[in-house]
Amino acid sequence: MNELYDSLLDTPTLAVALTLAAYLGGVALFERMGRPSWCPAVLIGAVFTAASLWLLRYDFADYQRNVAWLTLLLGPATVALAVPLYQQRQHIFALWKPILCSLPLAAVLAAFYAVLIAWLLGAPPAVLASLAPKSVTAPLAMGIQEQIGGSLSLMLGGLLITGVLTTIFVSLLARLLNITDQRILGFALGVNGHAIGIVRAFELGPKAGAFASLGMSLVGVFSALFLPLAWKLFGS
Amino acid sequence: MASLSVSTDIQRCLPTVFGCDGDGMKLLRGFLWLLGFQLLGHAVVELLSLPVSHAMAGLLLLLAWLLVKRRLNESVATASQALIPLLAMLIMPGVVGVFFVIDEFAGHWTAVMVALGVGTFLSVLTTLWLMLRFMPKEADSGDERGRLS
Repeated sequence: MNELYDSLLDTPTLAVALTLAAYLGGVALFERMGRPSWCPAVLIGAVFTAASLWLLRYDFADYQRNVAWLTLLLGPATVALAVPLYQQRQHIFALWKPILCSLPLAAVLAAFYAVLIAWLLGAPPAVLASLAPKSVTAPLAMGIQEQIGGSLSLMLGGLLITGVLTTIFVSLLARLLNITDQRILGFALGVNGHAIGIVRAFELGPKAGAFASLGMSLVGVFSALFLPLAWKLFGS
Repeated sequence: MASLSVSTDIQRCLPTVFGCDGDGMKLLRGFLWLLGFQLLGHAVVELLSLPVSHAMAGLLLLLAWLLVKRRLNESVATASQALIPLLAMLIMPGVVGVFFVIDEFAGHWTAVMVALGVGTFLSVLTTLWLMLRFMPKEADSGDERGRLS
């Protein structure tokens, strides 16, 4: 019996099935809760996965090794992001000037503010590196993390919190500053809040959604080129 | 006898299962394209020792190829439509790790939380300000206003 249990835990099939079940369960609960913007489906799924790993006494390192069979798809899925970027080229070309003026600065500052504050509060280099890609969409941020180091899990946790906070702050500041332009709100949501910001932007309207996807892709591509370079220059 | 009937069954199914123009074939062909660009990105990154990930280089190469060709290959579009919605599920195993590294960063949670909170507030404010400053006024600002709840 124990042997069977061990062999089940040792097969990638169980790790993949567990992940899919937890994710689908997370999405189902997310729908039942009325799609709350403060608690994305991925987070619920991650809690389910962690809980089942704990219940099964499944070692996290073993789980990671087995689930790599599934997460191998992350590579081609990242490459696939070129397609929506290509489809939005008209937006990019039409508004190249405001985008060129604001995007690099916004992307640099999104990383800089957090890294500076954490540094002032005495966080070690591993934490700083984990916080730097906080506004980058997860698949690209994982590529950045491969380059600059830090903890993958801490980085992904920071990404989730950043996305949720972005939707809250954009709503708050839009009311305070009286901004109704969908292009601006969508862009700010995508640039700072990656995929979680995009979900919120599509609730505002299709134009905000398109600009959010645009902002997310551009900030991702820019940061993926800029952050590893900056990290190399300033030394971690 | 039994094995014979099974094999004829399989033969009968062959044309549908291995049909040449189904969506499945399009998906596979597109998937192969994406893998090809990822491998190409891998080769370029390693040869030039660039500080970007292999998949990121693949993304940029595919984008460049699309911009040069000015036409979106139907199978690449099919594969990307199938894969992009899976991204959230694919990053989830990484997120799970957060519950297992809590001890490792025990002393730094205040720094992390303050950096994320204050940092995100400041960067949202900066982005909105930059866009307000550089964005041309919207021509049709009257009809579809963003309503924030």
